[in-house]
Amino acid sequence: MCAMARQTAGDELGISYERQGDDLVLQMGPQHPSTHGVLRLEIVTDGELVKHITPHLGYLHRCFEKHAEAMTYPQVIPYADRMDYLSAMNQELAYVLAVEKLMGLKAFPDRLEYIRVLMAELQRIASHLLAIGTYGLDIGAMTPFFWCFRDREKILDLFEWVSGARLLYNYLWVGGVAHDLPAGYTDRVMEFVAYFEPRVQELNSLLSSNKIFIERVASIGILTAEDAISYGIGGPNLRGSGVKWDLRKEEPYGIYERFDFDVPVGTGEFGVLGSAWDRYIVRVREMLESLKIIRQVVDQMPGGDPNEAMPRRIRPAKGEAYLRTESPRGELGFYLVSDGTEKPFRCKARSPCFTAISALNAMNHGGLLIADAVAVVGSLDIVLGEIDR
Amino acid sequence: MLQYFRNIWEGFWTPLVGLSLTWRKLFTPAVTMQYPEERWELPINSRMQLFVNMDDCIGCLQCERVCPVQCISIDTVKAVPGEVEEATTGHKKRLHVTKFDIDMVKCCYCDLCTFPCPTECIYMTPSFEDSSPDRYGLVYHFVNMTPQHAAELEEKARQFDEAEAAKKSAKAAEASATATA
Repeated sequence: MCAMARQTAGDELGISYERQGDDLVLQMGPQHPSTHGVLRLEIVTDGELVKHITPHLGYLHRCFEKHAEAMTYPQVIPYADRMDYLSAMNQELAYVLAVEKLMGLKAFPDRLEYIRVLMAELQRIASHLLAIGTYGLDIGAMTPFFWCFRDREKILDLFEWVSGARLLYNYLWVGGVAHDLPAGYTDRVMEFVAYFEPRVQELNSLLSSNKIFIERVASIGILTAEDAISYGIGGPNLRGSGVKWDLRKEEPYGIYERFDFDVPVGTGEFGVLGSAWDRYIVRVREMLESLKIIRQVVDQMPGGDPNEAMPRRIRPAKGEAYLRTESPRGELGFYLVSDGTEKPFRCKARSPCFTAISALNAMNHGGLLIADAVAVVGSLDIVLGEIDR
Repeated sequence: MLQYFRNIWEGFWTPLVGLSLTWRKLFTPAVTMQYPEERWELPINSRMQLFVNMDDCIGCLQCERVCPVQCISIDTVKAVPGEVEEATTGHKKRLHVTKFDIDMVKCCYCDLCTFPCPTECIYMTPSFEDSSPDRYGLVYHFVNMTPQHAAELEEKARQFDEAEAAKKSAKAAEASATATA
């Protein structure tokens, strides 16, 4: 009976789970507003309880890695943008640093390094704002979403001013930037910082300390530190489980060792350590840390030409390089193999969202409800463009 | 028991804190814009639409080569000397550009094409309201040359080449004749 049911309904849906008894297999997605893209979750339910979650990927696969092999090194940068379109600057930075490592370039003008850090941190705030806003929206809090987008817009305006594009910048290049900062840019950044800091407090009183929100998320989607480490999760998802691990501190790339900032970790203040609320609050606190870094960057911003050391032609010698950076979503790495031509022989992206989504089932310790599945997926802050690439 | 009542109290109170914020926001000006009537000023380097100033294009194909999505297609024909003026930047033009099409549907707005241009004749403009009911409407033809005209130019270039070659062989024959004499 069971086998027959599987044959009739299961096969065409590609169900991986063997049903037992009265289990109901629920297909959440691919077109579901809270999956942040096109993701299909196969949820095996026993009544209202979730027994097993299997994420099915590939709906947004665009052959980034294979396509990169047909592109020259600078031509890959717009594609790297499109991997994680919500934190394009960080994707560019990771790719560009990997190419530079492959080429063995090290000496860059200070101004370039500072511009890179400024862009990466602004983008981190923009990305976290979107994560927080949409998470609130997933749970049912509409207002924080609009407020976060209002503030994110200001960052996008800054990006548009410097690069000409709002989302997909192609701004950070190998050994340089597309344009130097316009005159008065740092003043506008400081204006934003001054504007934004009270907004975080507003957001906290609106959502973070809202008792209803806390009760909703502080005890679901618990990711233990052991699970997080064994799944290879990084970024706010790992730090939410109480592990103090930030590549900007542990393995500083660029000039991150020059800045003074803290690494916020989840503490399990309201409920269990590693819950969805911990992951959420780590993002909020990280925005404040990014503001700290931006202040220091603006204070120390040197003059000069950022493109002084830009290589005229990018043709790395034979070899391979792997470089990992801290993107807003976790550990983002690029592995590049060069065969001595202008095109990468292999370009592998190590995506933080992919590892995060793979741990979805490990967050179910029994007692996860169907309604909670949305809250758990939302708390991971996944971007399907990066998972499928 | 105390915790129970505290939870209830907090459940009432903390949303009210948020609501008070919402009330305050009610009396601040809106951040949204009434788009077609109001519009914000875009920065001059906004990447919204590609434009080519054909007076300056020398047909070097560098933009076509660097494009990651192959949205630019250019055809050139060799020009007879003196037939085309030089670009305003002082670059010599040696080619007729018989076709310069940009498919804005394919374009990924990466701005890579504008940097290698020697005469800076291809650039992004802040005009963003170009739309079309079908995808062919977004293929921009920056050169309006008929195929007949292009064929004529090609024929002219071929004749010129032939004449040059004939001149050269005549010269060579003359030189060899004088050498033998």
